[in-house]
Amino acid sequence: MGNELNIDEQLQEDRLDAKLRDEVPYIDDAGFTACVVQQLPSGRRQPRFARAAILLGVTLLASVIAYLITGGGAFLANAAEFLVAMPFASVCAIALLSGLLVTAVGTSAAVIKAR
Amino acid sequence: MALTDADLVARVLLDDDHHAFAELVRNHQSTVRGLLRQLTRTDAALADDLAQETFVRAYRNIRSFRGEAKFSTWLYRIAYNCFREEARKRKELVGIDETQLEAEHDPQTVDPALRHDLAQALQLLPLHERTAVLLCCQNGLSHDEASRVLEIPLGTVKTNVLRGREKLKKAMAAWATN
Repeated sequence: MGNELNIDEQLQEDRLDAKLRDEVPYIDDAGFTACVVQQLPSGRRQPRFARAAILLGVTLLASVIAYLITGGGAFLANAAEFLVAMPFASVCAIALLSGLLVTAVGTSAAVIKAR
Repeated sequence: MALTDADLVARVLLDDDHHAFAELVRNHQSTVRGLLRQLTRTDAALADDLAQETFVRAYRNIRSFRGEAKFSTWLYRIAYNCFREEARKRKELVGIDETQLEAEHDPQTVDPALRHDLAQALQLLPLHERTAVLLCCQNGLSHDEASRVLEIPLGTVKTNVLRGREKLKKAMAAWATN
């Protein structure tokens, strides 16, 4: 008897919920979205190309400053000489370690960003 | 293929893409405006103003949307906050009281010219019960989601839904016998 009452009540509630959902009319947009978009604040951030240009500019400037400070890039010639003089196995090991380091940093950055 | 809410939110976050946000507005405007119309007791102009405010706030604060809840649930929360602030300004936060509801059930006071339907019965509920019923029964939110939208305990949401439903059933039954 009690169970029948519960089932009946549940049915009544389901019917009421269904009726409530049916009562919701679809409200036509009628310019509402356009009105909202007009009110949105614009240009919080620079466009992508501007950011890329700034990054490139700063990198070039830093390179020029480093070149001038280190006496016309003498350190590059020194480093090249050092590398040429190194045994082939050592050069391969350095290249491998550098590759692994870059991969590890890139992977951890990607994981952090995905969270 | 239509983009999901998550895709559109990502585009807004990445590029401040107004077109993507417009798509989100188009997808959700009807439910948000519908909810606000019910909360403001069918004052469509006020409801639409609040809905606009809701979407503008959503755009400004989209970085705080972490995707833990559905985008629509997050929007409902903003919409409800907008409504609460407006109601506080207008000092209309208190809904129609219980005695008024009882009077509506009294056949002696029933105006035959009134359209006695579910929508009207909803308007007779006190605000806290009406809001809970609208969110859970009409918009399909779980009790847990509704408690987050309304920022009230889960038990209170369940009680409000239960009482609201009971009152609706009584009102409908009373009108059916007249």
